[in-house]
Amino acid sequence: MRARTVRLWSVVHTWTSLISTLFLLLLCLTGLPLIFHHEIDECLGYAPQPEAHASAARATPQVVADAALAADPGRVLQYVSWDKDEPGIVMAFTNSAPDGAPDNATVRAFDAVSAKLLGPVGVGPMLIVLKLHTDMFAGQAGKLFLGAMGLLFAVAIVSGVVLYWPFTRRLRFATIRDSAARRVRWLDWHNLIGVVTVAWALVVGLTGVVNTWAELMLNQWKATELASMVAPYAGKPPPAHLASLDDVVARARQTAPGMEVAFIAFPGTPFTSSHHFAAFMRGDTALTARLLQPVLLDGETGEVADSRALPLYLQALLISQPLHFGDYGGMPLKVIWAALDGLTIVVIGSGLYLWLARRRKRAPGKADAFARRAPVPS
Amino acid sequence: MHGSSDRVRLWIRVFAAPVLLAAATIIGLLAALLWGGVGQYVAWVTVGAPLLVVIWTFLRRRLNRVSFPKSGPHGRARVD
Repeated sequence: MRARTVRLWSVVHTWTSLISTLFLLLLCLTGLPLIFHHEIDECLGYAPQPEAHASAARATPQVVADAALAADPGRVLQYVSWDKDEPGIVMAFTNSAPDGAPDNATVRAFDAVSAKLLGPVGVGPMLIVLKLHTDMFAGQAGKLFLGAMGLLFAVAIVSGVVLYWPFTRRLRFATIRDSAARRVRWLDWHNLIGVVTVAWALVVGLTGVVNTWAELMLNQWKATELASMVAPYAGKPPPAHLASLDDVVARARQTAPGMEVAFIAFPGTPFTSSHHFAAFMRGDTALTARLLQPVLLDGETGEVADSRALPLYLQALLISQPLHFGDYGGMPLKVIWAALDGLTIVVIGSGLYLWLARRRKRAPGKADAFARRAPVPS
Repeated sequence: MHGSSDRVRLWIRVFAAPVLLAAATIIGLLAALLWGGVGQYVAWVTVGAPLLVVIWTFLRRRLNRVSFPKSGPHGRARVD
């Protein structure tokens, strides 16, 4: 590789890293507790626990919906969801209007057997951490901005791999030059940790970017696929009275045999049309449990209107979520995820240190002033 | 001709381990998603492999320092 090419890649690596450093540190630091958010919520008492029952007869969906409306008088139901990993709990989302802002929604857990209110979901300190991680309390603009930082992170990783060659070709793999200066030792650690975690960092970084586009993808789906699914019902007003949720769930199951309902979106909510329920069905394998299939049902009669597989971009979004969260391989994978997150913090921190140390070396006259302002950690 | 094969050998020496680790990581990430229970075990080993390399490098340095102290007869230990 020519010296000029190395310099060019070095500039790309330096500036894509520097611009995104602060935000990547924020994402890594907030991402760390989010890996264990279930466990933390449980420890802090924010995770509703289902009651113990002798009978396994579950409350019907309509009973749960009635309980949810009774718990939040004057508001409307947006969604009812069934979590595969928490079969004892049904969650209900209420809001001031069917298309109310997600931040105004209230999520409550109900016992799957007795339909008793168990408590609110998604509250407590982890909500603040989640908001910091997803949009920094800046809504869609914050999400897209963090997505852009994720793209810079991906460019920094790729340029780092390119630079790995000129910096390590004379060294054996995993060499840390202990006899050299501290800056060189940290360069070796930076190169080693960076290159061994490259695949994980790229996957987590890029799936995070895809997640920031979720709302745009959903809007695209609504404008194209969903619009064509509900075209025969064009001009129909919102339902005057809603069909029984029991009928809706039963007919959705008949339409997608072998699948279970993941969640029901009520008419007028962002996941469906103003006239239809949308039942999002999931399979029972590790993969198909994440690839949802929508079944559209008439809001008044509960009759099935249409059912189509989600387009590739939404399937990619659904697949990207577990690959970003690391919550699909049990506790050992979560611990590994957290450790790799920690190593990424080391790579980012050491990169910043190397940049500062090089600047100080280039400008010895300013070294004293610099050292007073930002002493290099020992 | 000779220079080209040297370059390939050098490229393999530099990138063989990182490429293997990257492939193992990707296999592990997909295994847990596609193969359920068995895939989880694969993921724990393969996604955890980069961690093992870092831990091994760290411990190797510590052990070398203990074996060849800075003030000992051999001077400061060299790792590579």
